[in-house]
Amino acid sequence: MTANGLLPRSREEGIPWFVWLAVVGVTSAMIGVHWDISWHRSIGRDTFWTPAHIAIQLCGVIAGITCGYLILRTTFSRSEMRDVSVQVLGFRGPLGAFITAWGGFTMITSAPFDDWWHNAYGLDVKILSPPHVVLALGMFGVEIGALVLIAARMNRASGQAKKRLEYLFFFVAAMILVAALVLVLEFTSRIFLHSAVCYRTVCMMVPVTLLMAAGATGKRWGGTIVAGIYTLFVLGMEWILPLFPAQPKLGPVLHETTQFVPNGFPLLILVPALAMDLARPFLAGWNKWLQALVQGPLFLVTFLAVEWPFGSFLQTPAARNAIFGSNYFEYWASPRSYAMQYVFIPFEKTPAEFWTNMALALLAAVLACRIGLARGEWLSRVRR
Amino acid sequence: MSAVKVLVLSLAAAAGAFAHVGSPDVFFQGKAGPYPVLVSIRPPDVIPGIAHVQVRALAAGVQKVELAPTPMTGEASKHPPVADVAERTPGDPNGFEGAVWLMGFGSWEVHVRVSGPAGAGELAVPVPAIATKASAMQSGTGYFLFGMMLFLSVGLVAMVGAAVREARLEPGVAAPAWDRQAVLWMSFAAVVVTALLWFGKNWWADDAATYARRLYKPLGASASVDGAGHMELRLTDPGWMAMRKLDDLAPDHGHLMHLFLIRWPAMDQVFHLHPDQMATGYFGQDLPEVSAGQYRIYADIVHENGLAETAVGEVALPDVSGKPLSGDDAGGAAIPTGNSFALPDGYRMVWRHDPADKVTSKKLLLFRFAIEDAEGRPAGDLEPYMGMGGHAEFVKCDGSVFAHVHPTGSVPMASVNVASPEAMMAMHQMEVGPEVSFPYGIPTPGDYRIFVQMKRAGKVLTGAFDLTVK
Repeated sequence: MTANGLLPRSREEGIPWFVWLAVVGVTSAMIGVHWDISWHRSIGRDTFWTPAHIAIQLCGVIAGITCGYLILRTTFSRSEMRDVSVQVLGFRGPLGAFITAWGGFTMITSAPFDDWWHNAYGLDVKILSPPHVVLALGMFGVEIGALVLIAARMNRASGQAKKRLEYLFFFVAAMILVAALVLVLEFTSRIFLHSAVCYRTVCMMVPVTLLMAAGATGKRWGGTIVAGIYTLFVLGMEWILPLFPAQPKLGPVLHETTQFVPNGFPLLILVPALAMDLARPFLAGWNKWLQALVQGPLFLVTFLAVEWPFGSFLQTPAARNAIFGSNYFEYWASPRSYAMQYVFIPFEKTPAEFWTNMALALLAAVLACRIGLARGEWLSRVRR
Repeated sequence: MSAVKVLVLSLAAAAGAFAHVGSPDVFFQGKAGPYPVLVSIRPPDVIPGIAHVQVRALAAGVQKVELAPTPMTGEASKHPPVADVAERTPGDPNGFEGAVWLMGFGSWEVHVRVSGPAGAGELAVPVPAIATKASAMQSGTGYFLFGMMLFLSVGLVAMVGAAVREARLEPGVAAPAWDRQAVLWMSFAAVVVTALLWFGKNWWADDAATYARRLYKPLGASASVDGAGHMELRLTDPGWMAMRKLDDLAPDHGHLMHLFLIRWPAMDQVFHLHPDQMATGYFGQDLPEVSAGQYRIYADIVHENGLAETAVGEVALPDVSGKPLSGDDAGGAAIPTGNSFALPDGYRMVWRHDPADKVTSKKLLLFRFAIEDAEGRPAGDLEPYMGMGGHAEFVKCDGSVFAHVHPTGSVPMASVNVASPEAMMAMHQMEVGPEVSFPYGIPTPGDYRIFVQMKRAGKVLTGAFDLTVK
């Protein structure tokens, strides 16, 4: 250890193997999740051992084994990692390793729970069930753990190493965004883009991560970079999945599909992310609640300004192609459905309901911004 | 007989009483185009769930068998998924097996497409998609999940403490022995974790309750008899899914109900009657001559969507002089006397079964019966009985199993008619005898009585045989 309490520079400059493995695990899970949802929309029938499920569970296995090993090694050897570790239940290791391992074990725990659930209550017909929520909690655990693991290392590093860690940090933050928006996919599809519930949902999920990433790294375009990675990832899934053949194995088949059905064009959060990044220097030094009171409405207004008209565009014939994907439908899509008729769903039945949801969206955006600012600040100071 | 109404008991039937009682597996013998096949389907206990299908070609040369499930009626029935190719059964050159997913409640069918040198042919086999069982968690799984829940909950709270206490310290700096902030945050985390677990428990309980409401609840049957020997029978619905109605019954062999009255527990009297529907859920029947006793009621009905059910009840009957049996009504005393059952005019009904052959449960067998004259010559004048070579009822001595089986298997003809009207036509054109066989798999070990009804010289004849299943 050096006199200033930092580890020798040579040890801190590289990106350690466990960080890479955590990033691989997170990426595997997010590819798996998109693939799995597409699998259910295109093929329908699955087993525990589909490639998509393996990609998801691989995240838990990698995270559990890698960080479990890291914790045991830090606890029982005289590793220099002890100086940058925390103590949890008598064990020592980086805080991120504990969170990642917790996520991994939670994911692995969900497997027998889900299997029993199928035997007891039937095969899946909905995304949100208790075992699936346990799996999702585990995935978020791994992602947040990886983020903390990287943040601690990033905050101790300098120069090129810090830069590389910052990009890994942005990447993992973007994967958190992907996971969050997958959870609410049912409210953000094309037919919901003129419903206030879509905006309420997005405001609850997105600003937290954008402001957290920007705050944790202090980077001028932190939120924009994260939103950009999210956009590229979802675009990649949107364009790559349909290249593979698939046939429905469950009935009724109301719409013939011959390839994997992707999960929809990415939301245009790049624009509000850019607006928030542009506003940040002007708000520096303000009280965090005041910052949130500006950033929240800014997010909602800029997002509405682009997503609402873009929603209209997605309903037009011009969007029914491989680029925008409005021509893809799951095998159970009825010709009478809103999606196949290219009509927006009237989710809110009255103007009062609509404006109530919009008001809640505004409130959610402000609160989410405040939480994002707090988390960003905390992550910028984490050292171990 | 005095004009006394007889009080009747309604029985809570065993689970799995749709189309038979305690006998959920489906057995069906038919032709897929030019290929005669024997199909057995084991439906899942839970819906959505996986049904296991076995197909045995009764002629050599079948090259491929494909399976695809659909609901039996409605728009969805017109849009099957891509069929699965069944795998060959190891050790059986004519055997094929596969699994199909039944994704919704109700009346489904499995399309069996058979290909071979004579081209391809298809057969649709009705199968009920009904949840019948709520599985308890195995203790090992339960302990594991409970242990993990505690471990992960405690771990989460401990991590929050570590995050507040140590995560922002510079490397090598020791954490304070006591950190009030950390304790406060850990307490907060413990409250949040407890609240989440409580929410999860309630969510689980809600889902379990919703599922329990969908578990099959069999129809009940209650009956009363007036002084003239007229029985009124009422179907009682204990409350199940809204899709079950009583005003949608379809005729099966020309009758809306096949009513079996079996004197209990001796099972020495059996009647196969066909009451008329008086109103929705109400049926009337003039009883034949009946000896007094407690009788079990098994009432088979089929809904117009092809879903078959057996309503179960019990009735105490007095001695009834009654009216002579007529039409398709049949029955009377039925006390087994080994493999040969004496019939009027010197004839006998014979079960072609070697008592030394052990019968095991869940195994598909052909139960073969014939009518012979006094010299042992097969009767040459057998006639179809309600379009079939015969009807057989398999009844377990403890009452937990009742199955009404035809030479085509355990599927009611009204269900076949919905699934495949052409197959139904072909079945009713089949010639009868001299031997009749019933494809069936006994569901559970125990003692059974088989009642067999065949028709010759214009009379329906009833025989009874006992069977012990290992």
